[in-house]
Amino acid sequence: MIERLENALQIAVLLFCCCITIYRALRLHSRVWIFLTFFYGSWLLGDIYWTTCLFFFKQTPQISIVSDLSWYASFIFMYMLLHQIAPPQGNSRAWLVPWLGPIFTLAMAIYYTLWGQLLNNLIYALLMGLLLYAVIYRLCKRKQYARQTALCQTILVFCLMEHALWTSSCIWSGDTLLNPYYWCDLLLTLTFPFFLRATRKAVSA
Amino acid sequence: MSYIENIFICLAAPLLLAILCLSPDGRRGLGFLLAGMTSCLLSAYVSAFFAGIAETDIPTASHEIAPVVEEVIKFLPLLFYQLVFNAKRRNIIMGALLVAVGFATFENVCFLTYNDTSDLSRLLIRGFGAGAMHVVCGMVVATGLSFLWDQVQLQIAGTVALLCFVITYHAIFNVFANQSGMVFWVGNAIPLLTVLLYLLFFRKRVDM
Repeated sequence: MIERLENALQIAVLLFCCCITIYRALRLHSRVWIFLTFFYGSWLLGDIYWTTCLFFFKQTPQISIVSDLSWYASFIFMYMLLHQIAPPQGNSRAWLVPWLGPIFTLAMAIYYTLWGQLLNNLIYALLMGLLLYAVIYRLCKRKQYARQTALCQTILVFCLMEHALWTSSCIWSGDTLLNPYYWCDLLLTLTFPFFLRATRKAVSA
Repeated sequence: MSYIENIFICLAAPLLLAILCLSPDGRRGLGFLLAGMTSCLLSAYVSAFFAGIAETDIPTASHEIAPVVEEVIKFLPLLFYQLVFNAKRRNIIMGALLVAVGFATFENVCFLTYNDTSDLSRLLIRGFGAGAMHVVCGMVVATGLSFLWDQVQLQIAGTVALLCFVITYHAIFNVFANQSGMVFWVGNAIPLLTVLLYLLFFRKRVDM
Protein backbone atom coordinates (compact mmCIF):
# COMPACT_ATOMS: atom_id res chain seq x y z
CA MET A 1 0.00 0.00 0.00
CA ILE A 2 2.75 2.44 0.99
CA GLU A 3 4.69 1.57 -2.16
CA ARG A 4 1.65 2.33 -4.31
CA LEU A 5 1.14 5.68 -2.60
CA GLU A 6 4.82 6.45 -3.01
CA ASN A 7 4.71 5.56 -6.71
CA ALA A 8 1.54 7.61 -7.21
CA LEU A 9 3.20 10.62 -5.59
CA GLN A 10 6.30 10.24 -7.75
CA ILE A 11 4.18 9.92 -10.90
CA ALA A 12 2.20 13.05 -9.97
CA VAL A 13 5.37 15.06 -9.33
CA LEU A 14 6.96 13.86 -12.58
CA LEU A 15 3.79 14.60 -14.54
CA PHE A 16 3.74 18.13 -13.16
CA CYS A 17 7.45 18.64 -13.98
CA CYS A 18 6.92 17.16 -17.45
CA CYS A 19 4.08 19.59 -18.22
CA ILE A 20 6.24 22.54 -17.22
CA THR A 21 9.22 21.40 -19.32
CA ILE A 22 6.98 20.72 -22.37
CA TYR A 23 5.57 24.23 -22.04
CA ARG A 24 9.07 25.73 -21.81
CA ALA A 25 10.38 23.58 -24.68
CA LEU A 26 7.52 24.75 -26.91
CA ARG A 27 7.87 28.38 -25.89
CA LEU A 28 11.65 28.65 -26.02
CA HIS A 29 12.39 26.05 -28.77
CA SER A 30 15.39 24.98 -26.75
CA ARG A 31 17.09 21.59 -26.80
CA VAL A 32 17.92 21.93 -23.11
CA TRP A 33 14.23 21.85 -22.17
CA ILE A 34 13.58 19.02 -24.64
CA PHE A 35 16.30 16.96 -22.95
CA LEU A 36 14.84 17.74 -19.51
CA THR A 37 11.38 16.75 -20.81
CA PHE A 38 12.76 13.43 -21.98
CA PHE A 39 14.55 12.96 -18.64
CA TYR A 40 11.28 13.41 -16.76
CA GLY A 41 9.30 11.55 -19.43
CA SER A 42 11.54 8.48 -19.34
CA TRP A 43 11.45 8.30 -15.55
CA LEU A 44 7.71 8.79 -15.63
CA LEU A 45 7.15 6.01 -18.18
CA GLY A 46 9.35 3.65 -16.15
CA ASP A 47 7.30 4.42 -13.04
CA ILE A 48 3.98 4.04 -14.88
CA TYR A 49 5.03 0.69 -16.33
CA TRP A 50 6.18 -0.56 -12.91
CA THR A 51 2.96 0.63 -11.25
CA THR A 52 0.65 -0.78 -13.92
CA CYS A 53 2.36 -4.17 -13.63
CA LEU A 54 1.84 -4.05 -9.86
CA PHE A 55 -1.78 -3.01 -10.35
CA PHE A 56 -2.85 -5.46 -13.09
CA PHE A 57 -0.64 -8.48 -12.38
CA LYS A 58 -0.15 -7.98 -8.59
CA GLN A 59 3.60 -8.43 -9.01
CA THR A 60 6.62 -6.50 -10.24
CA PRO A 61 7.72 -7.20 -13.86
CA GLN A 62 9.19 -10.70 -14.00
CA ILE A 63 11.98 -9.92 -16.44
CA SER A 64 11.99 -6.26 -15.36
CA ILE A 65 13.98 -5.08 -18.37
CA VAL A 66 11.46 -2.52 -19.63
CA SER A 67 11.37 -0.22 -16.61
CA ASP A 68 15.15 -0.41 -16.34
CA LEU A 69 15.51 0.62 -19.99
CA SER A 70 13.43 3.67 -19.28
CA TRP A 71 15.49 4.62 -16.26
CA TYR A 72 18.74 4.08 -18.23
CA ALA A 73 17.34 6.51 -20.80
CA SER A 74 16.74 9.09 -18.07
CA PHE A 75 20.41 9.04 -17.06
CA ILE A 76 21.48 9.40 -20.71
CA PHE A 77 19.16 12.38 -21.20
CA MET A 78 20.45 14.00 -18.02
CA TYR A 79 24.03 13.57 -19.26
CA MET A 80 23.05 15.12 -22.58
CA LEU A 81 21.36 18.00 -20.84
CA LEU A 82 24.55 18.69 -18.91
CA HIS A 83 26.63 18.34 -22.07
CA GLN A 84 24.33 20.75 -23.91
CA ILE A 85 24.36 23.39 -21.18
CA ALA A 86 28.02 23.10 -20.26
CA PRO A 87 30.17 21.34 -22.85
CA PRO A 88 33.50 20.05 -21.47
CA GLN A 89 36.36 22.51 -21.86
CA GLY A 90 40.04 21.56 -21.98
CA ASN A 91 41.41 18.13 -21.21
CA SER A 92 38.92 16.70 -18.75
CA ARG A 93 40.91 13.46 -18.34
CA ALA A 94 43.77 15.32 -16.67
CA TRP A 95 41.66 15.65 -13.53
CA LEU A 96 41.77 12.87 -10.97
CA VAL A 97 39.02 13.94 -8.54
CA PRO A 98 36.09 13.28 -10.95
CA TRP A 99 37.15 9.63 -11.17
CA LEU A 100 35.80 9.26 -7.63
CA GLY A 101 32.34 9.19 -9.21
CA PRO A 102 32.83 6.13 -11.44
CA ILE A 103 34.88 4.37 -8.72
CA PHE A 104 32.04 4.89 -6.23
CA THR A 105 29.35 3.65 -8.63
CA LEU A 106 31.42 0.62 -9.62
CA ALA A 107 32.09 -0.31 -5.98
CA MET A 108 28.40 0.02 -5.17
CA ALA A 109 27.47 -2.02 -8.26
CA ILE A 110 29.70 -4.87 -7.07
CA TYR A 111 27.94 -4.70 -3.70
CA TYR A 112 24.48 -4.71 -5.35
CA THR A 113 25.31 -7.79 -7.43
CA LEU A 114 25.04 -9.77 -4.16
CA TRP A 115 21.26 -9.25 -4.55
CA GLY A 116 20.62 -8.27 -8.17
CA GLN A 117 21.65 -9.02 -11.74
CA LEU A 118 25.24 -8.38 -12.80
CA LEU A 119 24.55 -6.78 -16.20
CA ASN A 120 21.80 -4.51 -14.96
CA ASN A 121 23.96 -3.22 -12.10
CA LEU A 122 26.95 -2.70 -14.36
CA ILE A 123 24.89 -0.66 -16.84
CA TYR A 124 23.57 1.53 -14.02
CA ALA A 125 27.11 1.91 -12.68
CA LEU A 126 28.41 2.91 -16.11
CA LEU A 127 25.67 5.47 -16.75
CA MET A 128 25.71 6.95 -13.28
CA GLY A 129 29.51 6.88 -13.24
CA LEU A 130 29.58 8.92 -16.45
CA LEU A 131 27.09 11.37 -15.02
CA LEU A 132 28.93 11.70 -11.73
CA TYR A 133 32.24 12.15 -13.54
CA ALA A 134 30.79 14.99 -15.60
CA VAL A 135 29.20 16.60 -12.54
CA ILE A 136 32.25 16.41 -10.27
CA TYR A 137 34.49 17.68 -13.08
CA ARG A 138 32.29 20.76 -13.48
CA LEU A 139 32.08 21.28 -9.72
CA CYS A 140 35.89 21.17 -9.55
CA LYS A 141 36.06 23.91 -12.19
CA ARG A 142 33.50 26.15 -10.55
CA LYS A 143 34.86 29.37 -12.06
CA GLN A 144 34.31 28.14 -15.59
CA TYR A 145 30.93 26.58 -14.84
CA ALA A 146 29.60 29.07 -12.29
CA ARG A 147 26.07 29.21 -13.71
CA GLN A 148 25.77 25.42 -13.85
CA THR A 149 26.80 24.81 -10.22
CA ALA A 150 23.20 24.50 -8.96
CA LEU A 151 22.37 21.97 -11.68
CA CYS A 152 25.50 19.94 -10.91
CA GLN A 153 24.70 19.94 -7.20
CA THR A 154 21.13 18.82 -7.90
CA ILE A 155 22.37 15.96 -10.08
CA LEU A 156 24.87 14.97 -7.39
CA VAL A 157 22.16 14.88 -4.71
CA PHE A 158 19.87 12.95 -7.09
CA CYS A 159 22.52 10.30 -7.75
CA LEU A 160 23.30 9.95 -4.04
CA MET A 161 19.59 9.62 -3.23
CA GLU A 162 19.26 6.92 -5.88
CA HIS A 163 22.16 5.01 -4.34
CA ALA A 164 20.67 5.44 -0.86
CA LEU A 165 17.41 4.04 -2.24
CA TRP A 166 19.09 1.01 -3.80
CA THR A 167 21.19 0.34 -0.69
CA SER A 168 18.17 0.55 1.61
CA SER A 169 16.26 -1.87 -0.65
CA CYS A 170 19.11 -4.36 -0.23
CA ILE A 171 19.26 -4.15 3.56
CA TRP A 172 15.70 -3.52 4.73
CA SER A 173 12.40 -5.01 3.66
CA GLY A 174 8.82 -4.69 4.87
CA ASP A 175 5.79 -2.63 3.99
CA THR A 176 5.88 -0.21 6.92
CA LEU A 177 6.92 3.39 7.29
CA LEU A 178 9.89 2.24 9.39
CA ASN A 179 11.52 0.99 6.20
CA PRO A 180 14.11 3.63 5.12
CA TYR A 181 13.48 2.67 1.48
CA TYR A 182 10.25 4.68 1.47
CA TRP A 183 11.93 7.72 3.00
CA CYS A 184 14.74 7.57 0.44
CA ASP A 185 12.16 7.24 -2.34
CA LEU A 186 10.30 10.24 -0.97
CA LEU A 187 13.50 12.29 -0.86
CA LEU A 188 14.30 11.20 -4.42
CA THR A 189 10.84 12.35 -5.50
CA LEU A 190 11.45 15.70 -3.86
CA THR A 191 14.65 16.25 -5.85
CA PHE A 192 12.81 16.17 -9.21
CA PRO A 193 11.30 19.69 -9.05
CA PHE A 194 14.72 21.14 -8.19
CA PHE A 195 15.95 20.27 -11.69
CA LEU A 196 13.51 22.84 -13.10
CA ARG A 197 14.93 25.68 -11.09
CA ALA A 198 18.54 24.57 -11.52
CA THR A 199 18.17 24.22 -15.30
CA ARG A 200 16.47 27.58 -15.56
CA LYS A 201 19.33 29.12 -13.61
CA ALA A 202 21.91 27.34 -15.78
CA VAL A 203 20.47 28.58 -19.09
CA SER A 204 19.60 32.10 -17.94
CA ALA A 205 21.87 35.16 -18.46
CA MET B 1 -3.02 -22.43 -36.86
CA SER B 2 -2.03 -19.48 -39.04
CA TYR B 3 1.16 -19.25 -41.02
CA ILE B 4 2.11 -15.59 -40.85
CA GLU B 5 4.87 -15.98 -43.45
CA ASN B 6 2.20 -17.06 -45.95
CA ILE B 7 0.11 -14.00 -45.08
CA PHE B 8 3.22 -11.87 -45.50
CA ILE B 9 3.96 -13.27 -48.97
CA CYS B 10 0.36 -12.68 -50.00
CA LEU B 11 0.45 -9.06 -48.83
CA ALA B 12 3.97 -8.29 -50.03
CA ALA B 13 3.58 -9.64 -53.57
CA PRO B 14 1.49 -6.74 -54.96
CA LEU B 15 3.70 -4.24 -53.19
CA LEU B 16 6.80 -5.78 -54.74
CA LEU B 17 5.25 -5.57 -58.19
CA ALA B 18 4.24 -1.96 -57.59
CA ILE B 19 7.80 -1.09 -56.51
CA LEU B 20 9.07 -2.22 -59.92
CA CYS B 21 6.64 0.08 -61.74
CA LEU B 22 6.88 3.25 -59.62
CA SER B 23 9.05 6.39 -59.76
CA PRO B 24 12.00 6.60 -57.29
CA ASP B 25 9.96 8.57 -54.73
CA GLY B 26 7.06 6.14 -54.82
CA ARG B 27 9.48 3.23 -54.80
CA ARG B 28 11.12 4.54 -51.64
CA GLY B 29 7.74 4.97 -49.94
CA LEU B 30 6.56 1.47 -50.76
CA GLY B 31 9.99 0.12 -49.84
CA PHE B 32 9.58 1.55 -46.34
CA LEU B 33 6.08 0.11 -46.10
CA LEU B 34 7.40 -3.30 -47.09
CA ALA B 35 10.32 -2.93 -44.66
CA GLY B 36 7.80 -2.25 -41.88
CA MET B 37 5.84 -5.40 -42.71
CA THR B 38 9.03 -7.44 -42.89
CA SER B 39 10.10 -6.04 -39.50
CA CYS B 40 6.79 -7.21 -38.05
CA LEU B 41 7.31 -10.71 -39.39
CA LEU B 42 10.87 -10.88 -38.04
CA SER B 43 9.74 -9.47 -34.68
CA ALA B 44 7.21 -12.24 -34.31
CA TYR B 45 9.93 -14.86 -34.79
CA VAL B 46 12.47 -13.16 -32.51
CA SER B 47 9.91 -12.44 -29.76
CA ALA B 48 8.75 -16.06 -29.84
CA PHE B 49 12.39 -17.18 -29.59
CA PHE B 50 13.12 -15.00 -26.53
CA ALA B 51 9.80 -15.89 -24.91
CA GLY B 52 10.80 -19.55 -25.28
CA ILE B 53 14.19 -18.91 -23.69
CA ALA B 54 12.68 -16.93 -20.79
CA GLU B 55 9.90 -19.53 -20.43
CA THR B 56 7.20 -16.87 -20.15
CA ASP B 57 3.54 -17.05 -21.08
CA ILE B 58 2.08 -15.01 -23.98
CA PRO B 59 0.61 -12.11 -21.92
CA THR B 60 3.91 -11.60 -20.09
CA ALA B 61 5.89 -11.82 -23.31
CA SER B 62 3.57 -9.29 -24.97
CA HIS B 63 4.53 -6.53 -22.53
CA GLU B 64 8.00 -7.56 -21.40
CA ILE B 65 9.67 -8.98 -24.52
CA ALA B 66 7.70 -7.95 -27.62
CA PRO B 67 8.08 -4.15 -27.15
CA VAL B 68 11.87 -4.42 -26.90
CA VAL B 69 12.18 -6.68 -29.93
CA GLU B 70 9.62 -4.83 -32.07
CA GLU B 71 11.02 -1.35 -31.50
CA VAL B 72 14.61 -2.44 -32.13
CA ILE B 73 13.76 -4.34 -35.33
CA LYS B 74 11.47 -1.53 -36.53
CA PHE B 75 14.37 0.88 -36.12
CA LEU B 76 16.80 -1.20 -38.23
CA PRO B 77 15.47 -0.17 -41.71
CA LEU B 78 15.73 3.47 -40.68
CA LEU B 79 19.23 3.00 -39.35
CA PHE B 80 20.26 1.30 -42.59
CA TYR B 81 18.72 4.11 -44.65
CA GLN B 82 20.47 6.77 -42.56
CA LEU B 83 23.87 5.07 -42.60
CA VAL B 84 23.93 3.98 -46.25
CA PHE B 85 22.16 6.88 -47.97
CA ASN B 86 22.92 9.68 -45.48
CA ALA B 87 19.28 10.63 -45.82
CA LYS B 88 17.70 14.06 -45.49
CA ARG B 89 15.78 14.80 -42.31
CA ARG B 90 12.47 14.96 -44.11
CA ASN B 91 12.99 11.55 -45.73
CA ILE B 92 13.94 9.96 -42.40
CA ILE B 93 10.73 11.17 -40.79
CA MET B 94 8.67 10.02 -43.78
CA GLY B 95 10.49 6.67 -43.67
CA ALA B 96 9.80 6.23 -39.95
CA LEU B 97 6.14 6.94 -40.50
CA LEU B 98 5.82 4.44 -43.36
CA VAL B 99 7.80 1.72 -41.57
CA ALA B 100 5.48 2.17 -38.58
CA VAL B 101 2.39 2.03 -40.82
CA GLY B 102 3.65 -1.12 -42.57
CA PHE B 103 4.40 -2.72 -39.21
CA ALA B 104 0.99 -1.83 -37.75
CA THR B 105 -0.84 -3.00 -40.90
CA PHE B 106 0.79 -6.43 -40.91
CA GLU B 107 0.31 -6.75 -37.15
CA ASN B 108 -3.39 -5.94 -37.52
CA VAL B 109 -3.80 -8.45 -40.34
CA CYS B 110 -2.21 -11.15 -38.15
CA PHE B 111 -4.40 -10.06 -35.23
CA LEU B 112 -7.50 -10.45 -37.41
CA THR B 113 -6.55 -13.97 -38.46
CA TYR B 114 -6.17 -15.06 -34.83
CA ASN B 115 -9.18 -13.29 -33.31
CA ASP B 116 -12.89 -12.86 -33.70
CA THR B 117 -13.74 -10.20 -36.28
CA SER B 118 -17.40 -9.61 -35.45
CA ASP B 119 -16.98 -6.74 -32.95
CA LEU B 120 -16.45 -3.71 -35.19
CA SER B 121 -16.12 -1.14 -32.40
CA ARG B 122 -13.35 -3.13 -30.71
CA LEU B 123 -11.53 -3.65 -34.00
CA LEU B 124 -11.89 0.01 -34.85
CA ILE B 125 -10.35 1.18 -31.61
CA ARG B 126 -7.68 -1.54 -31.83
CA GLY B 127 -6.81 -0.51 -35.40
CA PHE B 128 -6.51 3.17 -34.58
CA GLY B 129 -4.88 2.60 -31.19
CA ALA B 130 -2.16 0.17 -32.30
CA GLY B 131 -1.57 2.16 -35.49
CA ALA B 132 -1.21 5.39 -33.56
CA MET B 133 1.11 3.77 -31.03
CA HIS B 134 3.48 2.51 -33.75
CA VAL B 135 3.39 5.88 -35.51
CA VAL B 136 4.17 7.74 -32.26
CA CYS B 137 7.10 5.44 -31.48
CA GLY B 138 8.51 5.72 -35.01
CA MET B 139 8.12 9.48 -35.12
CA VAL B 140 9.77 10.03 -31.74
CA VAL B 141 12.86 8.04 -32.77
CA ALA B 142 13.02 9.66 -36.23
CA THR B 143 12.57 13.18 -34.89
CA GLY B 144 15.29 12.62 -32.33
CA LEU B 145 17.58 11.05 -34.91
CA SER B 146 17.12 14.02 -37.23
CA PHE B 147 16.92 17.05 -34.99
CA LEU B 148 18.35 16.65 -31.53
CA TRP B 149 22.03 15.86 -31.91
CA ASP B 150 24.99 17.30 -33.79
CA GLN B 151 27.83 15.08 -32.59
CA VAL B 152 28.06 11.44 -33.60
CA GLN B 153 28.67 10.11 -30.05
CA LEU B 154 25.69 12.03 -28.72
CA GLN B 155 23.59 10.88 -31.66
CA ILE B 156 24.34 7.24 -30.87
CA ALA B 157 23.71 7.61 -27.13
CA GLY B 158 20.63 9.75 -27.72
CA THR B 159 19.14 7.33 -30.22
CA VAL B 160 19.62 4.45 -27.77
CA ALA B 161 17.93 6.55 -25.07
CA LEU B 162 15.03 7.39 -27.38
CA LEU B 163 14.63 3.72 -28.28
CA CYS B 164 14.48 2.87 -24.56
CA PHE B 165 11.88 5.63 -24.14
CA VAL B 166 9.61 4.32 -26.91
CA ILE B 167 10.03 0.70 -25.77
CA THR B 168 8.53 1.64 -22.39
CA TYR B 169 5.74 3.60 -24.07
CA HIS B 170 5.00 0.55 -26.24
CA ALA B 171 5.09 -1.79 -23.23
CA ILE B 172 2.63 0.37 -21.28
CA PHE B 173 0.32 0.36 -24.31
CA ASN B 174 0.53 -3.44 -24.52
CA VAL B 175 -0.32 -3.80 -20.83
CA PHE B 176 -3.44 -1.65 -21.27
CA ALA B 177 -4.42 -3.09 -24.67
CA ASN B 178 -4.40 -6.64 -23.30
CA GLN B 179 -7.00 -5.76 -20.65
CA SER B 180 -10.72 -5.68 -21.23
CA GLY B 181 -13.45 -3.08 -20.71
CA MET B 182 -12.69 0.54 -19.92
CA VAL B 183 -8.94 -0.05 -19.50
CA PHE B 184 -8.73 -1.30 -23.09
CA TRP B 185 -10.43 1.86 -24.36
CA VAL B 186 -8.27 4.17 -22.26
CA GLY B 187 -5.11 2.31 -23.33
CA ASN B 188 -5.95 2.74 -27.00
CA ALA B 189 -6.97 6.36 -26.53
CA ILE B 190 -3.54 7.34 -25.13
CA PRO B 191 -1.60 6.96 -28.45
CA LEU B 192 -4.42 8.65 -30.34
CA LEU B 193 -4.24 11.56 -27.94
CA THR B 194 -0.45 11.65 -28.34
CA VAL B 195 -0.81 11.81 -32.13
CA LEU B 196 -3.32 14.65 -31.83
CA LEU B 197 -1.03 16.58 -29.48
CA TYR B 198 1.90 15.95 -31.83
CA LEU B 199 -0.08 17.31 -34.78
CA LEU B 200 -1.18 20.33 -32.77
CA PHE B 201 2.14 21.37 -31.29
CA PHE B 202 5.07 19.79 -33.11
CA ARG B 203 4.12 19.40 -36.76
CA LYS B 204 5.15 22.88 -37.86
CA ARG B 205 8.48 22.56 -36.16
CA VAL B 206 9.23 19.19 -37.79
CA ASP B 207 8.23 20.47 -41.21
CA MET B 208 10.87 23.21 -41.05
